[in-house]
Amino acid sequence: MADKGNDPVAIWQTMIGEMEKGFNSFANQAMASPEFSKVVNQVGGASTGAQKQLGDLMEKYLVSMNLPSRAQMVGMAERLQSMEGQLNEIKAMLHQMQRASGAGDDGSSGAARPPRTKRPPSPGGEPK
Amino acid sequence: MSAGAGLNPAGLDLAAIPERIQSEVQRAIQRSIKGVEYLSTSGPSLGSTPKDILHSRGTMNLYHYRPMSDEIYRVPILIVMATTNRGYILDLVPGQSFVEFLLKRGYDVYMLDWTAPKPEEKSLRMEDYVLDFIPDCIRRVQQDSGETDVSVIGYCFGGVLSLLYGSIFNDGPMKNLICFTTPIDFREMKLFQNFSDRRYFDVDGLVDSVGNVPGDMIMTSFDMLRPASRAFSQVQLWDNIWNDEYVKGYRMMDRWGSDTLPLAGEYFRQTVKDLMWDNKLFNDTMSVGGRAADISKIKVPILHAVAEHDHIVPYDAAKHLIPKVGSSDKEEVMLKGGHVSLVAGANAIKRLWPKLDSWLGGRSI
Repeated sequence: MADKGNDPVAIWQTMIGEMEKGFNSFANQAMASPEFSKVVNQVGGASTGAQKQLGDLMEKYLVSMNLPSRAQMVGMAERLQSMEGQLNEIKAMLHQMQRASGAGDDGSSGAARPPRTKRPPSPGGEPK
Repeated sequence: MSAGAGLNPAGLDLAAIPERIQSEVQRAIQRSIKGVEYLSTSGPSLGSTPKDILHSRGTMNLYHYRPMSDEIYRVPILIVMATTNRGYILDLVPGQSFVEFLLKRGYDVYMLDWTAPKPEEKSLRMEDYVLDFIPDCIRRVQQDSGETDVSVIGYCFGGVLSLLYGSIFNDGPMKNLICFTTPIDFREMKLFQNFSDRRYFDVDGLVDSVGNVPGDMIMTSFDMLRPASRAFSQVQLWDNIWNDEYVKGYRMMDRWGSDTLPLAGEYFRQTVKDLMWDNKLFNDTMSVGGRAADISKIKVPILHAVAEHDHIVPYDAAKHLIPKVGSSDKEEVMLKGGHVSLVAGANAIKRLWPKLDSWLGGRSI
């Protein structure tokens, strides 16, 4: 097999790796300047403001079309998540009660848990 | 094949050329087949280690993973995830899951994981995370496990939250603290410093207009630390698409990297002002909800794992943790790898996980 220095595939892979490092290094130097921060934050601030205004406008449009807005859909999703959360709470409580009563061996969290007696292996590899 | 007989003066092994061509043709065919397969299938299922949701409240979820060992250590572990990322980075797929590793080594594992904060959670502040969410989870872990002591593992900003918790509740139930790549000196996160330069970055304007800071914005700021890497990773993916293991790893990491969480607005504002601008953690002036958070008050055994090539939390930002904490039993370990490969993937399996097990086992009895 050709050694790595003469293997065109290995050369290609090395070149790609070096190019990536080079681009990243160059970009990092450019991004470290205060001018970069100024421009990015100006553009980012303007874009965020525009997005916010567009969102508000769209919300009004959907209300006028008698359609649910994203906020309303999110509200419904939150209600569902809240119900899921409460179900999980009930499930966890039931598991705790089941465990306290010593019942259950179905592999779920309600099953009897292993004893908390484990010791770390000794330097020789055997448990202490 | 032996070098020598077939080598020409330029050092090329002429006899190996047909074999190499054949191998490349096979790979080219495999790329076409696997490329179609890649586009038509979804990635591996992540975060599938069996678990139960112990508690869920808004952005906060507390999981308990089902034990995988006949006998477990007395002290349970609570993993505190970074607020920007999903916890499944620590539970990728069987054989590459940190959580599964811990379970098989006999630990009782809980995880405090986050979901995207809802619009009405934009007012969550650092004190909600440090004085409410973490203590609430610790209480629930104590109640569920029946043990008073709890070991805490914090990844990245989860480490910062764990440190703040540990410094305020320094006589509390935390028995051991393990931090992965946790920043202390935020001046040393130089590009983040520049992105959030207080002369140009209007954090109040941003938070007041968007509420919660979108995940896309957070992801872009992470991507900008290595702006060429996402594009080059596509080239590397095509190059290696014949290799199933590479593709599986790529899909896992790509999905996780693109799954960045939004941040609660007030929490983001505090993080920028207190940590990025005023560097309060490093300057020992940090407080949360009016309570001083001096990390020198932490006295429990602590391990800090840092990555040699971490581009998100450079070593200069993380190196002050161990000198600053008040513990007498403390250790910093620097391992090869980057911010993510320190904790997940082939490097982590060989390096961090066994190190953590050997450190924590004796301290968990």
